[in-house]
Amino acid sequence: MYPMRDSNDEKLDALFRAYRAACPDRDPSANFMPELWKRIESRQTFTFSFRRMASAFVTAAVALTIAMGIYMAIPHSNPNMPQSYVEALAEARPLDTPDYVAPARLDLSETGR
Amino acid sequence: MLVDFELIERAQKGDAVAFNEIVLAYRKRILGQITRLISRPEDVEDVAQEVFVRLYFSLDQLRTAQVFEPWLYRLTSNAAYDYLRKQKRRQEFRMSDLSEQQVLMADATAGGKVEHEEQHQKKVRESVDALLGAVSDADRILLVQKEVEGLSLKELEKIYKVNENALKVRLFRARQRVLKAFGASEKK
Repeated sequence: MYPMRDSNDEKLDALFRAYRAACPDRDPSANFMPELWKRIESRQTFTFSFRRMASAFVTAAVALTIAMGIYMAIPHSNPNMPQSYVEALAEARPLDTPDYVAPARLDLSETGR
Repeated sequence: MLVDFELIERAQKGDAVAFNEIVLAYRKRILGQITRLISRPEDVEDVAQEVFVRLYFSLDQLRTAQVFEPWLYRLTSNAAYDYLRKQKRRQEFRMSDLSEQQVLMADATAGGKVEHEEQHQKKVRESVDALLGAVSDADRILLVQKEVEGLSLKELEKIYKVNENALKVRLFRARQRVLKAFGASEKK
């Protein structure tokens, strides 16, 4: 796999072999299994409560959406509420007080000379 | 395989006893692999437990029991990779806090406590650890699995689901970098 090997290659291989010998398979400590199950249980509790929270949030969001949908679907017949934009405008700016005026006309004819 | 497929399938269905048996069968091998991947014996159990925790929570994603070992290898590589990344950040911080003299003193004290053989093994571990610092953490793991664990390219292909030629190129480049660092350390 590695073409053109030199003496450093051989030395590096020997170092890797020595490294393999310096790191043999080892037996676990007596606490290995109890610690492992403790970690699994703590993560399980976290995952469970996170899932519960997420599902509660989803349920609340769905309920709110349905409620909003129903509310929007029901026609509102409140007599105090304006029915349309035009009506609202009419109510806000009655015709007797128009705030626009017709263009002024200047009479430039020389009368009375 | 160190366990039956049937045992794996039972564990996949949530059988805690079956899972316990799988851990008992593989823990020694996994501890050894992690020792060689991270070079720090003091943190090996912690990383191994993380591997088995990940195995516990991802076992239902395993499609067939036949691919269990490559799957476990991948989980081991990922946990070692995460550890190395965290360790690198922590080490940068820790070493920057110490003066050079303090570092030398700490080394000398540690050296005085260990026996001759252990001292030699420690030196070998440190040398290889330093050499592997010449490559990225991902390449380090790949190189250790090939050169130290003795995994074949076919096995690595199964673990990482990467094409053999891409693996060859990556391994060749990683080894060249390590060789360069090795040559430089020989000259000193």
